[in-house]
Amino acid sequence: MDIDILARGLVAGSLYALVAVSFNILYRPTNVFNFAQGELVMLGAMVFASLATVLGWPWYAALIVTLLGVGLLTLLIDVVAVAPVLARSQHGTGWVITTLAASLIIANGVNRIWGPDPIVVRPPAPLTTDTFSLAGMTVSAYQIFLVLLTIVLVLAIEQVYRTRQGKAVLAVAEDREAALLRGVNPLRLSHWSFFLGGAFAGLTGVLAAPVLYASTGLGPALLLKGFAAAAVGSIGNNRGALIAGYLIGVTEALGASLLSPGYQEAVVFLLVLCVLLIWPHGLFGRPFARTV
Amino acid sequence: MTMASNPGQTGELLLSVENVDVGYGHVGVLEGVSLSVRRGSIAALVGRNGAGKSTLLRAISGLLTPSRGRIVFNGRTISRDKPHVIVGAGLLHVAEGRRLFRAQSVDDNLELGVYGLKLDAADYRRRLARVHELFPVLEEKRGLPAGALSGGQQQMLAIGQAMMREPVLLMLDEPSLGLSPLLVDQVFAAIMALQQAGTTILLVEQLVERALEIASEAWVLQNGRMIASGPAAQISASDELRAAYMAAR
Repeated sequence: MDIDILARGLVAGSLYALVAVSFNILYRPTNVFNFAQGELVMLGAMVFASLATVLGWPWYAALIVTLLGVGLLTLLIDVVAVAPVLARSQHGTGWVITTLAASLIIANGVNRIWGPDPIVVRPPAPLTTDTFSLAGMTVSAYQIFLVLLTIVLVLAIEQVYRTRQGKAVLAVAEDREAALLRGVNPLRLSHWSFFLGGAFAGLTGVLAAPVLYASTGLGPALLLKGFAAAAVGSIGNNRGALIAGYLIGVTEALGASLLSPGYQEAVVFLLVLCVLLIWPHGLFGRPFARTV
Repeated sequence: MTMASNPGQTGELLLSVENVDVGYGHVGVLEGVSLSVRRGSIAALVGRNGAGKSTLLRAISGLLTPSRGRIVFNGRTISRDKPHVIVGAGLLHVAEGRRLFRAQSVDDNLELGVYGLKLDAADYRRRLARVHELFPVLEEKRGLPAGALSGGQQQMLAIGQAMMREPVLLMLDEPSLGLSPLLVDQVFAAIMALQQAGTTILLVEQLVERALEIASEAWVLQNGRMIASGPAAQISASDELRAAYMAAR
């Protein structure tokens, strides 16, 4: 067996974990899954690739514009497609269709503007995608950076929930009505969470671009596996999402190598199915165990 | 009954509920209900289970919107305001069952008590110290999740959390529910301490006798209608009303 599988799995797993975290950021205050997250990651990759590679902007300028742009678009999704649905009924599920609609609109729009050709994105110096040998694995400096940065980002997002606004988000997640009675305006928190979750999805796209290339096909695969990572890691649990992302990434790489690349998706979702059959709330339990 | 109007404006109407109808969907719960609370007083709202006491509190705090009538707090109509706006105006509702954030620590729950207020660090510490003075156990257990506290400690946390905000009017829904007699004494002592510090209180309490002891005025709700109101001592003395608010045992 090829030990490179581990490296490939960890790199893919990092991206799944990041998508899962972006799901969680939006889910916590709203109990909504934004099914446009996959296309937002794709959009982030495309915008960054166009600004940095095609127009030759410095990477940090392209990064800032990408994060703000995708964040604001996600905020718009909340204002137009999610908040009005929840205003009618807090437990309604109309957002499933409205966020899918947003997803399709973004995918079609991006296809019209950019077309199907992938754009090659090089990471900023000194990072490169040139490979070298490390402990028997063929890796690149960028891959190592990506795996480490993912861990840092997940821990950083957890720190957001130590601020007063973050605690209010957790309060809304645990008991929305009780949070209302403490003066929390849930609409404001949900707008902020959509902006942050969108910017995080855009960042995921930027980070994915050098390893996967920026292309319009990125969205659906990252959506499904990112969602799987969120579910396996227990919805709302970011550390769980990190571990589940790696689990799914490594399983996928193993499946591709031991069976055939044609079976890698089947192996991944077989794993997800088994985990969820045994632990319906994911590996890390319910986010908020409530005794009534 | 007359009330002297003091320089501190004690006695002026702080909250008035005027002829409101409230329901859930098409099911009416309250019909033509009125109630008023004077600034600086303790008012008791009594009635049997299902009379609509909690529904009335939920309408006042904005969780429910009355289909008819008007609610005025501190000179301003709040009947159509959102809950966070009403909290911002100084009207705080501690719901039945405490409704703490069980996954978060005692300290975090107290911090959420001042959500939306811009306090400097010294003011925050002063408020925290006042809560700790009244309920020392909240200092001992500050790092524990609220869900790990006993029922009595959770009730103290719920009241402490409300105190952090220093509300103008505090509505307490069944603060003694499930507490041992000793803890009930502590909770009632806390309510009286709050009133002496200037907070107006609207109390819904299953221990009616005790509520009427500390209240100056009382309101009796039966089947969604306000059937009587007056000085708490008078309400307490009426055998006829006793039947309306005492649970059938």
